[in-house]
Amino acid sequence: MMLPKIAWRNIWRSKVRSFVVIGAVFLGVWAFISMMAITFSVSLGYVDDAIRFQTSHLQIHHPNFGDDKASEFTIDQKLYDQLKETNNTIGITQRTIVTGMVRSSRGARGIIIKGVDPDTETIVSDIHKSLLEGSFLTGTKKNEVVISQEIADKLKLKLRKKLVLQFQDINREIVSASFRVVGIFKTGNNITDLSMLMVNRKDINRLLGQPTAIHEVALLLEDPTTQLLPTQEKLSTAHPNILVENYREISPEVQLYESQIYISVSILMFIFMLALIFGIINTMLMAVLERSRELGMLMAIGMNKIRVFGMIVLETIMLGTIGAPLGMAAGWLTVKYLNKRGLDFSEYSEGTDAFGIKSFLRPELDADIYFILMIAVFVTALLASIYPALRAIKLRPIEAIRKI
Amino acid sequence: MSIISASNIKKTYDPDKIAVHALRGIDLEIKQGEFTAIVGPSGSGKTTLLNIIGGLDRPSEGKIEIANTDISDLSDNELIDFRKDNIGFVFQAYNLIPVLTAKENVEFVMVLQKRSKEERDQRTKELLEAVGLTDKTNKTPSELSGGQQQRVAVARALASKPRFILADEPTANLDSESTAGLLDMMAQLNQEEGVTFVFSTHDQRVIDRARRIVTLVDGKIESDETR
Repeated sequence: MMLPKIAWRNIWRSKVRSFVVIGAVFLGVWAFISMMAITFSVSLGYVDDAIRFQTSHLQIHHPNFGDDKASEFTIDQKLYDQLKETNNTIGITQRTIVTGMVRSSRGARGIIIKGVDPDTETIVSDIHKSLLEGSFLTGTKKNEVVISQEIADKLKLKLRKKLVLQFQDINREIVSASFRVVGIFKTGNNITDLSMLMVNRKDINRLLGQPTAIHEVALLLEDPTTQLLPTQEKLSTAHPNILVENYREISPEVQLYESQIYISVSILMFIFMLALIFGIINTMLMAVLERSRELGMLMAIGMNKIRVFGMIVLETIMLGTIGAPLGMAAGWLTVKYLNKRGLDFSEYSEGTDAFGIKSFLRPELDADIYFILMIAVFVTALLASIYPALRAIKLRPIEAIRKI
Repeated sequence: MSIISASNIKKTYDPDKIAVHALRGIDLEIKQGEFTAIVGPSGSGKTTLLNIIGGLDRPSEGKIEIANTDISDLSDNELIDFRKDNIGFVFQAYNLIPVLTAKENVEFVMVLQKRSKEERDQRTKELLEAVGLTDKTNKTPSELSGGQQQRVAVARALASKPRFILADEPTANLDSESTAGLLDMMAQLNQEEGVTFVFSTHDQRVIDRARRIVTLVDGKIESDETR
């Protein structure tokens, strides 16, 4: 216990210098945790929104449905009934998907028309929760349509106004029909909002000439972390004639957002460790050089090189890791506060919406990150100790004792 | 019986550039229980000789045996271990570990020797008593005077039960009163307990107390006088 005692006391020989290092570690850890929590909330918010408003966890299509979204490639109703028996789901819904045009008196644009069953759709997706005006589809009135605020602005549409949807039916004939706007929504992702609108499935199927057409089945799982891939595999194996995709496959940018979190964490952690290493090496080298005589004396009276090395390593690790728990505590408190209060970027919502980023964030951070960070700080201190410790054991006692 | 046996010790610094012959063939035997001062003008080689005897430096030529062990052939790590168990050191300055108390400084070498806590505590108490510092057990070096620090250094040097103690100018930074006190203590340890002391010194007060005086001039023994 003598070495740890000496190492600990040596840290406090130069209080100012030690507090500078400890303070640097504290601030670095605190800033890192706070930044990571915000980064996670941005990225996870994007992923969460994508799942809630666009992809759900799993989507099922006919293998030939593809990017063309050809109407003739449908999923059998019996198959849908079987899929409804899938375990571990919060909800499952069926959709008709058609590409066409939406027209108003003021303009026209291409659009994806999603025909949904309101009862099941509101379980699987949260579009109904993002309504700014009006209400979601009721399923009881004919030719209702719910559009985004973006489309409403582009086509100069308001609640209760009519628009015309035009598309090809099953016979490749162009059909058009008038629909009344019953709800206007805004998900916060402009790209998604501009690309689609929702109508009752029975209305679009009637116009398609396919009363029972199902182009897409969407599932929301209870615990996607553990169930996503197993459920996907199980469904694919049980039904080889359908294409089962998870949200990462459906939306590669979502996968990119998910993976970039960890890339960001890794890069930031590396930069943080690098800065820390140099700071600690500098401090410890000064300490070793200042104590050359003392180290020479220790080796003269019989302290072997392994012990000298160990003493410097211990001292460095202690110095490097004191500030970390304090920084983590401060970081945890900051994240907790920001999570409760929220970070409101609605002033910049135009910009954030363009990238699908939420304008109101609630930062949070997995407990894993704290653990990984503690390990990183420890490893950094350990690596930083090597050079000063090697310098210490290279001292020759006789020369060290003689130094002026 | 000789505990230190130096045969034809030569030491040359920077032999490839301008050679400095610090020692030019020293033959010296020191026996158990001696109180020996190695004296000489500055540059005579006394500190070099002491460093070689203490295993802190290696001779360019010759052999140095400590208790029949030829230390010239030991590796650096072996020398460190040898010093720990066989040689006690009292330096001119920077003797003590600044962050340890007097008690902890004295027991430090015993910790390196892996002695039990009971043994360490007992011996530390005895040694601090022997050097008259029982009341300074928990003081750090910064709280002790120069003389008191040197006393702790002597106690620390004795703690490992060395074969002899090397003291390089131990009184150089001390006032007269502290010097007298330190020398009295060392002489008493020598006479009553048979501790062997080898000094390197300019200090006449030390020379006056020594029972054997080895005078070096220009790297050679000029005289070797036993009183």
